[in-house]
Amino acid sequence: MAKVSVLNVAVLENPSPFHSPFRFEISFECSEALADDLEWKIIYVGSAESEEFDQILDSVLVGPVPAGRHMFVFQADAPNPSLIPETDAVGVTVVLITCTYHGQEFIRVGYYVNNEYLNPELRENPPMKPDFSQLQRNILASNPRVTRFHINWDNNTDRLEAIENQDPSLGCGLPLSCTPIKGSLPGCIPGLLPENSMDFI
Amino acid sequence: FGLEAGSWTNAHQPIFSVDIHPDGTKFATGGQGQDSGKVVIWNMSPVLQEDDEKDENIPKMLCQMDNHLACVNCVRWSNSGMYLASGGDDKLIMVWKRATYIGPSTVFGSSGKLANVEQWRCVSILRNHSGDVMDVAWSPHDAWLASCSVDNTVVIWNAVKFPEILATLRGHSGLVKGLTWDPVGKYIASQADDRSLKVWRTLDWQLETSITKPFDECGGTTHVLRLSWSPDGHYLVSAHAMNNSGPTAQIIEREGWKTNMDFVGHRKAVTVVKFNPKIFKKKQKNGSSTKPSCPYCCCAVGSKDRSLSVWVSFGGKRDLTLNGLGILVCSMDGSVAFLDFSQDELGDPLSEEEKSRIHQSTYGKSLAIMTEAQLSTAVIENPEMLKYQRRQQQQQLEQKSASTRETGSATSVAGVVNGESLEDIRKNLLKKQVETRTADGRRRITPLCIAQLDTGDFSTAFFNSIPLSGSLAGTMLSSHSSPQLLPLDSSTPNSFGASKPCTEPVVAASARPAGDSVNKDSMNATSTPAALSPSVLTTPSKIEPMKAFDSRFTERSKATPGAPALTSVTPTAMERLKEQNLVKELRPRDLLESSSDSDEKVPLTKPSSLSKRKLELEVETVEKKKKGRPRKDSRLMPVSLSVQSPATLTAEKEAMCLSAPALALKLPIPGPQRAFTLQVSSDPSMYIEVENEVTVVGGVKLSRLKCNREGKEWETVLTSRILTAAGSCDVVCVACEKRMLSVFSTCGRRLLSPILLPSPISTLHCTGSYVMALTAAATLSVWDVHRQVVVVKEESLHSILAGSDMTVSQILLTQHGIPVMNLSDGKAYCFNPSLSTWNLVSDKQDSLAQCADFRSSLPSQDAMLCSGPLAIIQGRTSNSGRQAARLFSVPHVVQQETTLAYLENQVAAALTLQSSHEYRHWLLLYARYLVNEGFEYRLREICKDLLGPVHYSTGSQWESTVVGLRKRELLKELLPVIGQNLRFQRLFTECQEQLDILRDK
Repeated sequence: MAKVSVLNVAVLENPSPFHSPFRFEISFECSEALADDLEWKIIYVGSAESEEFDQILDSVLVGPVPAGRHMFVFQADAPNPSLIPETDAVGVTVVLITCTYHGQEFIRVGYYVNNEYLNPELRENPPMKPDFSQLQRNILASNPRVTRFHINWDNNTDRLEAIENQDPSLGCGLPLSCTPIKGSLPGCIPGLLPENSMDFI
Repeated sequence: FGLEAGSWTNAHQPIFSVDIHPDGTKFATGGQGQDSGKVVIWNMSPVLQEDDEKDENIPKMLCQMDNHLACVNCVRWSNSGMYLASGGDDKLIMVWKRATYIGPSTVFGSSGKLANVEQWRCVSILRNHSGDVMDVAWSPHDAWLASCSVDNTVVIWNAVKFPEILATLRGHSGLVKGLTWDPVGKYIASQADDRSLKVWRTLDWQLETSITKPFDECGGTTHVLRLSWSPDGHYLVSAHAMNNSGPTAQIIEREGWKTNMDFVGHRKAVTVVKFNPKIFKKKQKNGSSTKPSCPYCCCAVGSKDRSLSVWVSFGGKRDLTLNGLGILVCSMDGSVAFLDFSQDELGDPLSEEEKSRIHQSTYGKSLAIMTEAQLSTAVIENPEMLKYQRRQQQQQLEQKSASTRETGSATSVAGVVNGESLEDIRKNLLKKQVETRTADGRRRITPLCIAQLDTGDFSTAFFNSIPLSGSLAGTMLSSHSSPQLLPLDSSTPNSFGASKPCTEPVVAASARPAGDSVNKDSMNATSTPAALSPSVLTTPSKIEPMKAFDSRFTERSKATPGAPALTSVTPTAMERLKEQNLVKELRPRDLLESSSDSDEKVPLTKPSSLSKRKLELEVETVEKKKKGRPRKDSRLMPVSLSVQSPATLTAEKEAMCLSAPALALKLPIPGPQRAFTLQVSSDPSMYIEVENEVTVVGGVKLSRLKCNREGKEWETVLTSRILTAAGSCDVVCVACEKRMLSVFSTCGRRLLSPILLPSPISTLHCTGSYVMALTAAATLSVWDVHRQVVVVKEESLHSILAGSDMTVSQILLTQHGIPVMNLSDGKAYCFNPSLSTWNLVSDKQDSLAQCADFRSSLPSQDAMLCSGPLAIIQGRTSNSGRQAARLFSVPHVVQQETTLAYLENQVAAALTLQSSHEYRHWLLLYARYLVNEGFEYRLREICKDLLGPVHYSTGSQWESTVVGLRKRELLKELLPVIGQNLRFQRLFTECQEQLDILRDK
């Protein structure tokens, strides 16, 4: 059984200009105190075509982690535009938050990100070379895709077996645009509802 | 009527087990979830009442747990209803307990899923089985949990101390697929694929009988073999038996394990038998004057032919009826059906009290000797008692409401903590959170702790992140935090209904009641199309690349080591889902047709046949080893020993008798040392330094004694060499050569002229103003040097040491000058100065201590930690639990007797040691036990002694105090205890009145 379960990830300051940092407020619960730190990473997917263009925006250690519910804000700088293929700069991509323990990834939270020009003119006729300063980044915060992996939490027992759990609603392959916003708030505890849950409307 | 749980969820995963909570308000199901095992706790009321089903505010699903890694085969509530145990294909057993402090929540990222109205937390994971766990069962008194597995074993867990294993029952040569406890607690029965049903004794966990005959003809396997024991204990009904090549459920009589009767009528193998836990009595019909019929039981039989039959009464006719009282059935298609029957059809269920009376009359004891129900029938005879009882009830109520309030405020933890709203905290979290750099320059964030997990029942959320160490810290913290929460309560006045905490929003942010969203969510998830999706993600061209992202969400990043990701999971899961939908559509929805509890497993095939063979081999070898030589050897061993020992013993004895008895006891003497330092035990800053023969004045050697206490130092000289020294906070004493003993005050002033000991010193000891000297000739003396009186005068240790080669392993002198000798054989004696006797106060081998079971009388866990000389002597062994649990299968009377004897020993020992604190502790414990078990005479005697004569008379020998405690104060403490049992209301009243008279005087 996983010792750490993520209760909620709130996307802060969303939408925001392309160059502003990513901020995620992560709440998680730990069932028994961890001997070592958790490692969290934010990965920005530069292109759907290849993992080559993935950028690890930042990675932090989080600890010590006693049993209980905890939260922290994970802030990471915006991706380096020069590493993003020009054709992929505008449009939909993905940002991933992963967490590993003892080098084993046990949860992956993915969000669709849409980069779009705010200016209607630019939207109609996007420049050949993307103008990142004009791009607005919008994270589809209401629709996280969570994949959990079974890992070995202790040092002694044998290694992982299989994927533990997968987001069921999206596992069915619903087209993204079909996902109802209203019915899918990721909020957990009353009061922990993300401030930005209405950000699309 | 029937109701499908499946209609409340989207998934139609198979359900393998269902169990109704003892209080009937909820039920649990276990089965296959999305790539994991799934346990779901459901609300019962929507099943029972159609109105509740339609009411959107009443939650249907209370909690779901995906923690099992593979299919859940069995879910079972403990008899108390406090715990839920689940066992699954992941070889694990998980024990769940409700977490009271957290409010509703969802599983993050599972957008369509329903909110968890209740939080059930896994408190123990039991790992031992090497194969799928097929069935779990709580013993009638909840002290044991049994589990059986395809590894051919049954494991008995100590439910009081998870994950301790009490026994592993080996003997089955096939997959064990069903378990049932004898309601009286004497046996446990298991049924396995090896075509046998085995009954095991709980006394020694050995096989009582193995029944094979009814299963000889059995072919083919079933997924489960859930047998059941009738609530009256008379009958055991098996699954999957054969009679004349027809599938039956075999009835096995407790008496002689006879197998003469069976339930016939099913077309395919019987997989499940379940008795209604109640015993019934036929209702008396109006007009007809039938005398009250014998109590009878009712059981349901489920089969692979997808039908269910319900049977009543063994005594008379055996007919196939569809009677029952509230049966829940689950089946492969993911549905649960409920069959509701009227009492007319079934008769009146007997109360727990009547049930235990039947047990008692039949078996001489019952697991529930004094039930609440029994008490509630007693009439309260006097107003004092009534007042007292009312007060108690009110207190309980208050506690309850406090706890609900606490739950409430804890739920709003999200809202306010320590007066600071979470919103505020969140705004500043980035600034506030502690970020450091590790040695290798990496960022490290210390997370902000927003809630503790509850280790106990009422631990509440609190704020500062203090690392928890052990449960003790946990309770400390929780007690700290509760006062903090009180002001919070007043600010959020009791807005929580205990039953449905989700319906009222507490924090403004949660704009929508959860109950509401539950239903909407489930609807929307499937039916609502894209209409609402935001402008941002509209361009159809963008959908293509997004599909390309799919793998990114589910595959582990390459950077992370570990197993390769399983991308195939999603499609297979989907197919499975579709398949099941199809199957479901095809299958007639006739509820009576849905097969009960479980059927064979379709989606999860496992290499069981292979592993099974391996396991069988293993078991065989183990058995061979057992049957082989070792056993013979072990039997021979004690014999040879016993032959040998008497001879040697007598020889020794003779030798001792022949030689001078004085020689037999010669205690070691400390040899003279040049110098030594001695720490005075109680006070670390106090130590004694001894230097022998340091100064030579005119040819005379002197010895120096130095004493250092908190920096203050004194010294003195003695004429002969110092052999040993001892000190307390009041005195320092030294024993010198020539049998001299000198005593000094803490400032170094000589208190007595040297005492001449009868023989050389062996051990010297000081406590307070008491000095104890044990001489080499095994005589003991204790003096009170302040009062200058002798407490123990040259008492010989012969009586406790004679006749064996025992030695004194530890010496203790209590605050009251009572010497205690711990001997090498584990016995401890103290000398009673007033009686001039050695009294046995502790015995490590004392079987009473191991058998006594007074756990029910312990006020709380920490009360057990009563410190004092008795605790020091006996050591704080809390083995009472385990041994007592083992002993549970001996007659209750014996249990009571041993417990009483043990407690009386303890009270007496504390009294002999004059340890007032411990005397009070044990006396109260003893009284509580007497009250719980209903021993009036002894209780009355205690009260009489404590009360004393109400009217003063000169001839009275009564002492008003005992070991420095006022007896009447003790009685006042005792009264509330007595008041707990209505049976003693007269005693309660008497004492109360007399105390009142005394007070008025």
